[in-house]
Amino acid sequence: MFKFNCVLFNSASIVCRQFVASLNGNGTSLVGSRGTPLQRTLFSSAVRHQEAEASETKSGKEFSFYPPMPGQDSALSWGGKKFDELPIVHIKATYNNTHIQLIDSTGQPMVRTSCGTEGFKNIKKSTPIASQTAGISAAAKATAKGVTFVRVVVKGLGPGRLSAIKGLAMGGLEVVSITDNTPVPHNGCRPRKARRM
Amino acid sequence: MSRHLRFIARTVMVPDGNIDAAYKALNRVLTQDGIIDTVKRKRYYEKPCRERQRKNFERCRRIYHSEMARKLAFISKTDREDPWLGC
Repeated sequence: MFKFNCVLFNSASIVCRQFVASLNGNGTSLVGSRGTPLQRTLFSSAVRHQEAEASETKSGKEFSFYPPMPGQDSALSWGGKKFDELPIVHIKATYNNTHIQLIDSTGQPMVRTSCGTEGFKNIKKSTPIASQTAGISAAAKATAKGVTFVRVVVKGLGPGRLSAIKGLAMGGLEVVSITDNTPVPHNGCRPRKARRM
Repeated sequence: MSRHLRFIARTVMVPDGNIDAAYKALNRVLTQDGIIDTVKRKRYYEKPCRERQRKNFERCRRIYHSEMARKLAFISKTDREDPWLGC
């Protein structure tokens, strides 16, 4: 844990650095017409970590918090799938509720749960416990469809942000990576007025 | 974020099923990039006069803290070379 704590990194510089490195290495453009994601490219990464089921390529275990870049070969695989082919769990953690939806890498929806579908009402939906039960039930439905490894995308700063991921893990799904997709407007729409309490 | 490549920025891998470590790392990255407090601040509209007051306050606070840390570091430094050496 010490080694991890000593690594200070900035996500903006991550993008720039890895983009430059990958572009220099590939020689081809990685970005589509509008920056559309290229999901069927090869992977590589300088430092890799293997799950127990996957084969060990190096004797020394090195783990990197950075995800495998699309466009570089990576020896990482989870259940025989590359990072790009793993299904994605979208967790929308609003202040009043938490929605969990599982989609596969092509974009087809598979499982959808929320605190409301678990039987919670009104204020009880905006609790970490409710989101944990939603996570557990989503994981149960997903394992019934044959899903084991999964990437998580979190949106919003709500009470169920961490406990939904914990619920997924408790329900039996293996979380491979956590992405934060909280929408940050660059001064777009004007939010509602400040509350005076 | 739909116009950017996905799973590059703001992404951490989970080491050995240790979700707490990954979440802590993600949180650390987000706070260092100022995303967490930007999101909290933009939940409600901040009028321009309040925004100017806040920026002024944060500027003064930053100056005060850096000066105080400098003073403390100077005072707590004990391994100086001997100024009276050789006389």
